[in-house]
Amino acid sequence: MSVLVNGRMHNLPEPPTLAALLVALAPPIPFAVAYNGEFVPCANYARCEIQPDDRIDIVHPAAGG
Amino acid sequence: MNCIKAEDTLTLYGQSFASRLLLGTSRYESPVQLAAAIRAADPALLTVSVRRQLPGGRLGSQNAGGLFWNLLGETGRKILPNTAGCHTAREAVNTASMARELFQTNFIKLEVIGDEVNLQPDPFGLVDAARELVKLGFQVLPYCTEDWVLCSRLMDAGCEVLMPWAAPIGTGQGPRNPRGLRELRERAPQIPMIVDAGIGLPSHACQVMEWGFDGVLLNTAVSRALDPVQMASAFAQAVKGGRSAFLAGPMIVQERAVSSTPEIGRPFASDSSRSEGTALRAGSFHP
Repeated sequence: MSVLVNGRMHNLPEPPTLAALLVALAPPIPFAVAYNGEFVPCANYARCEIQPDDRIDIVHPAAGG
Repeated sequence: MNCIKAEDTLTLYGQSFASRLLLGTSRYESPVQLAAAIRAADPALLTVSVRRQLPGGRLGSQNAGGLFWNLLGETGRKILPNTAGCHTAREAVNTASMARELFQTNFIKLEVIGDEVNLQPDPFGLVDAARELVKLGFQVLPYCTEDWVLCSRLMDAGCEVLMPWAAPIGTGQGPRNPRGLRELRERAPQIPMIVDAGIGLPSHACQVMEWGFDGVLLNTAVSRALDPVQMASAFAQAVKGGRSAFLAGPMIVQERAVSSTPEIGRPFASDSSRSEGTALRAGSFHP
């Protein structure tokens, strides 16, 4: 199964949860995540089951005005 | 005279700040330059954003977010995350939620952009987002215009701070609608107002502070100056000077000329008694 992460296709490891995806991708810390445009608190990663073609956004601190 | 003045601090949602300058962290040449500008500006808050991380980012590393995170920590400043680039209330609420988890603050600079040409706020999306964020426990600082109806709706939504623009973001034009800004200030004297966006010069910042605004938020005016560190210092002084002038109470503008030098004793006066009487009526003891 593939999902869209930050606009790019990625293969999702089993089990198909957000937590498994994040373990596989190991994004630099700190980060926060949105699933299909909705914020997911870090406490809910393991419960967030992913479907084919879902969109995941992983964001980090950045400069801003 | 033994007079101790109460400390003049900026208070936002119950938090007090010695500085009245808020500084953006974007568009600097390097992290070193940003850190030096922060030291020179001595800001109350630093604005930041959340973004997807691109390999080899602007801060020159694969983990640009981590480096930036460390730099923020070293400054010891309080953080004001933004929702820059959001065009709907839903985007803004979700961006704010991600920012809260990352930065561990309820403060959010709420931006909902309604027009790509001048980056003007979308008043409808702004109010919707503000209402939702307040329900979620955020302390919302909305980037808005000087429109009174919009500002009153934002206050109704629970915003305890307003951030009207001076001019479109990044233009450096200074206050485009001075009368509108001053009327807004006068109509809601109880709520902290920070002029955000469009400031280009320290004189712009000083001017709005003289009008009674509580603070100034700027980024590009510092980061795109030839010498950002020196400009940061200039803005810090301008904001303090403007605030001092506001507290001092500016003189009332007169329609006609009033001599500041006493008439009493002026040589060559043809009628010294008439000259003296005129001077006393004019209040010649004032400088």
